[in-house]
Amino acid sequence: MNKVTNINHATVKERPVTTLDQKPARAEGRKDPWSQLLVKVGKEQDRQAYHSLFEHFAPQLKYYAMANGMASHAEELVQEVFVSIWRRACLYDWQKAAASTWIFTIARNQRIDMLRKMRRTSAEMPVETEDLWQIPGEDDNQPVTSLHRLMSERRVRESLSQLPEDQITVIAKVYMEQKSHQMVADELNIPLGTVKSRVRLALSKLKVILQDQNV
Amino acid sequence: MTRHHPDSLSLMEYSAGNLSEPHALCIRLHLDKCTHCRSRVDTLDSLGAVMMEQQPKVSVSETMFDDILAKIDSTPAPEQPAKVVPKISLLQKLLGEDINNLPWKRQLGDVSVLDITEKFPGQKEQVVLQKLGAGGKAPAHTHRGTETTIVLQGAFADQKGVFNQWDFVVLTDQDEHKPVAVGCEDCITLSVLSAPVKLTGTFTRMLNPFIR
Repeated sequence: MNKVTNINHATVKERPVTTLDQKPARAEGRKDPWSQLLVKVGKEQDRQAYHSLFEHFAPQLKYYAMANGMASHAEELVQEVFVSIWRRACLYDWQKAAASTWIFTIARNQRIDMLRKMRRTSAEMPVETEDLWQIPGEDDNQPVTSLHRLMSERRVRESLSQLPEDQITVIAKVYMEQKSHQMVADELNIPLGTVKSRVRLALSKLKVILQDQNV
Repeated sequence: MTRHHPDSLSLMEYSAGNLSEPHALCIRLHLDKCTHCRSRVDTLDSLGAVMMEQQPKVSVSETMFDDILAKIDSTPAPEQPAKVVPKISLLQKLLGEDINNLPWKRQLGDVSVLDITEKFPGQKEQVVLQKLGAGGKAPAHTHRGTETTIVLQGAFADQKGVFNQWDFVVLTDQDEHKPVAVGCEDCITLSVLSAPVKLTGTFTRMLNPFIR
């Protein structure tokens, strides 16, 4: 009898958390504090909100820049990304991407851009970085529904927490250190096939692998 | 061999920003028309964000936020965001004119080619447009290294299947094929031929002046 009461108690205690987890993705996106701050920056040029985003994302972005070999230009990259966030925030749509995803793609493009400029090839190339690598939500033709996008953000975080360390290590090297699968294999001293199969296992967990074709 | 859609590993390298521009172009052209792959890339972009979030943080200089505000205040924002600039297609921007009016060079029989490698200065891959006249046949051939192809117009078929506009195909030296243009349009493809040596990532590193 006592035991039953305890269980009930625990259930009651946990209920709010469970409910939150099962809320539709749309409501979840509305609750993501960073996405809401970014909306405020876009709609109201809210500098307080902008500062909060800076406090949260700038240290991540600096590590990102340093990890991929831009140590001496790391602060420059962070600055450029934030100026870009300010200018583009009016285009941001929380229904199309979470703030963290949107900011990641801006940082990625900024890095590509800076490297192109250093190579002095950007002027000669007819297409710009953003023609090739898009920022989510900045294209009217985007057919994917908001629901799907927000689901994917949550799913990624959940799935990632279940992946073994060796798979995460490989993914981190690809994303953070800009290493090709071959370079990761060389560095970890494992066969290329092993690297690829670790990535494939991780991506199938994340449902990026096409079910019917296994690609 | 990859057929119809890019494989997950390539999409991941795309999302991470590690692909060369010609390869990114092939993927981007496909994504524009393929909702399915688009949502795969959305997931991968989220993966990038979550990876970044889970890495160590490095504090930035104390004056940086003020520097950013100063920069924002000193340069007035553009009147209209880039979004409303009238859009010309990515292909048109790249080629400078309609794909059918290009100075094609006839090769064998029904095949014409145009090398556009020079549009991508500083890249090691060869980038070529190929046109197979409507109903035309290309001679059987294999590929040197890896050839990544996207169908820009019309369709072609080989013994493995039919490839329609915006389909994505990767062929290696293991794949011999004998494509035929199907339908009533000329079939035009864009192909990126990998350099003989593996240097996808290494080359970028070599050119990367930040690395000492």
